[in-house]
Amino acid sequence: MSIFEYNGSALVAMVGKNCFAIASDRRLGVQLQTIATDFQRIFKIHDKLFLGLSGLGSDAQTLHQRLVFRHKLYQLREERDMKPETFASLVSAILYEKRFGPYFCQPVIAGLGEDDKPFICTMDSIGAKELAKDFVVAGTASESLYGACESMFKPDMDHEELFETVSQALLSSVDRDCLSGWGGHVYVVTPTEVTERILKGRMD
Amino acid sequence: MPKEHANWSPYDNNGGTCVAIAGADYCVIAADTRMSTGYSILTREYSKICKLADKSFMASSGFQADVKALQKVLSSRHLIYQHQHNKQMSCPAMAQLLSNTLYYKRFFPYYAFNVLGGLDSEGKGCVFTYDAVGSYERVGYSAQGSGATLITPFLDNQLKSPSPLLLPAKDAVTPLSEAEAIDLVKTCFSSATERDIYTGDSVEIIILNAKGVRHESEPLRKD
Repeated sequence: MSIFEYNGSALVAMVGKNCFAIASDRRLGVQLQTIATDFQRIFKIHDKLFLGLSGLGSDAQTLHQRLVFRHKLYQLREERDMKPETFASLVSAILYEKRFGPYFCQPVIAGLGEDDKPFICTMDSIGAKELAKDFVVAGTASESLYGACESMFKPDMDHEELFETVSQALLSSVDRDCLSGWGGHVYVVTPTEVTERILKGRMD
Repeated sequence: MPKEHANWSPYDNNGGTCVAIAGADYCVIAADTRMSTGYSILTREYSKICKLADKSFMASSGFQADVKALQKVLSSRHLIYQHQHNKQMSCPAMAQLLSNTLYYKRFFPYYAFNVLGGLDSEGKGCVFTYDAVGSYERVGYSAQGSGATLITPFLDNQLKSPSPLLLPAKDAVTPLSEAEAIDLVKTCFSSATERDIYTGDSVEIIILNAKGVRHESEPLRKD
């Protein structure tokens, strides 16, 4: 039993035309028992930057607190929000600091960068960045998510079609994973607004 | 003194993915043609599909030496059946035979992950899916092998009933047309090839219907 599979999680981020979507499941479990069905895995860093953290729930919450702290400091010093690429490098550095006693998390970062160009990336638990132009996945349902996203993704979808695609990919994938599910949480971000929606799926 | 374990295994995994979809009056059975060992490719043109009877085709991924042995056992048992009963085995009968054959070696299994596809005695498509020791179930569609975890959720999304609360009928087959099902299979393999290193080269597709058997082949990425 891997520590990454202790709590169960599913995370996906996808790029659209001048927008992005980031979605997660809502289950928090302790191995086979479900403890919470409303667990927050995606966190807002600023209006155009979202961070999802899969893996061990405790490390996800601790990392989130540390990163919010670092971003607030950055805002005070630089008098502006962090660019997504910069934030990704920050997360990578913080993870690598713990190279020989890591955080058991796999982050997914999604944001709108310069000129509102969508940016997504994921990294492993010690900070190896993986940039992608289409989608990134993380969590216990990652293999299912790879298959579902690869088949359903089209480039340059508008925010409504992107929402539908991400939702279908997430729900189909978590339905084949015992450790993730109990609904979905989807954020769709365009340059002008952020839409947060809860999905109802198989509640098991 | 701790017990020493063998560092030789009788098994190997040759990779690959198999898919089958049952329709109202047809059945599609498909498998990629790549055979690998570890990170190397042994050949790009290996067929994982075997015709067991006129209306039963078996696609198997896993350890191909065990698959070959299994195919030989089933073919010879079918020949004996034909001699004794003067007819071909029906697909559900072959399904049971495969299950029994696999369980026979319960304590030294065939490392084979099988999908049996064909037409039942009413001419409807049927697909049976197995584990390595013979546990089986008739289903409307199935995927086995290294790309199965990538393909199955997508097939669920495209073929399952509209609401997860609606249980499909026991002998549910897809309402899709034959051409749509073949297209779906090709999409599945293209997607699996992108993300699974053991799947690729080309996909061999067998289409069974009342008119007979048809073969199709579609190239896939070779990297």
